[in-house]
Amino acid sequence: MSLLPKRVKYRKQQRGKLRGNATRGNYVAFGDFGLQSLEPHWVSGKQLEAGRIAAQHFLRRQGKLYIRVFPDKPISKKPLETRMGTGKADVEYWAARVKPGTILFEIAGVPQELAKQAFARIAHKMPVRCRFVERRLAV
Amino acid sequence: MSKETPVLTAQRRERFGTRYARRLRESGRLPAVIYGHGADPVAVSLDAKETITTLKHGVHVLNVVVEGGKAETCLVKDLQFGFLGDDVVHVDLARVDLDEVVTVKVRLNFFGQPESARKPGAVLVHAVNDVEVSCKVREIPSDIKVDISNMEDDFVASQIKLPAGLTLVTPPNTMVCHVEIVKEEVVVAPEAAVAEAAAEPEVLTARKDKEGEEGAAAKDAKPGKEAKEG
Repeated sequence: MSLLPKRVKYRKQQRGKLRGNATRGNYVAFGDFGLQSLEPHWVSGKQLEAGRIAAQHFLRRQGKLYIRVFPDKPISKKPLETRMGTGKADVEYWAARVKPGTILFEIAGVPQELAKQAFARIAHKMPVRCRFVERRLAV
Repeated sequence: MSKETPVLTAQRRERFGTRYARRLRESGRLPAVIYGHGADPVAVSLDAKETITTLKHGVHVLNVVVEGGKAETCLVKDLQFGFLGDDVVHVDLARVDLDEVVTVKVRLNFFGQPESARKPGAVLVHAVNDVEVSCKVREIPSDIKVDISNMEDDFVASQIKLPAGLTLVTPPNTMVCHVEIVKEEVVVAPEAAVAEAAAEPEVLTARKDKEGEEGAAAKDAKPGKEAKEG
């Protein structure tokens, strides 16, 4: 089942724009390693779920997987071969707004090599270019 | 400090701003600033590779020799990161005395495998990788070794055995690491999955049915009328 909110204030939203880079959620906070987006995109709940399943099947109860983004933006889409007008279309799916630098997934409790392999599987399911990152330098 | 204080050579920065800082970074230098102890702040640049390698070893205190001057003992106060959040683009250095008491974050070096983490599906999760301690500058360790081989399911900050001279600043009940059992994934039947996929979130501002609205309007109107009559 894909991710979606339990409760929302409004049924539909305007599209908006994904400008700039991530200034929040751009470092590994919970796990030991992370998968970072390098492009801006709307990542659907279905894509996140596909990534989660790919990683968890590979990890087989080793390590803890964190999903750092949540699809809270309703994306509406008009049906095919429909004339324009007659109001805003129905919600098609829910998406997370991902900017360059956003950490998408994190893994804790596994060696680096295993985490890299799990993230490679997730990256195949993502609509963005991703890279592997570790915890950043702390003072 | 566990080892000798590393010595870094710094050059004064004469020109400031984004462009000049970027040019410095491109030439392998790292912009930094030295401040504190009532003296004027000095904008400097350090060798990027050497500085980052030093910081990766958990060093907190540096001896910075600004060209033509004498060495100053500095505490690494803050780091600024680039747009992807991991490359260091600027360092804040605060002048300190070796006997001054400061509060710093020291990383934890876990060792040992607890019995509870050997169960199938058990994962050792490090909730915290560093703790805040208060100590004299000369006593700041590069890391704190934490033996977790005898831990139960949880390990809190107060259970860390600190080296002499260090006082814990982090709240003592802060969870440092714990053992979590990862549940086996329940495979959802396709029919159930379709039903769940059709589920929609509750809309808080959704319009109510007409009767409900009228009833509410009538209730609202009554007290007003009564008030006018009265």
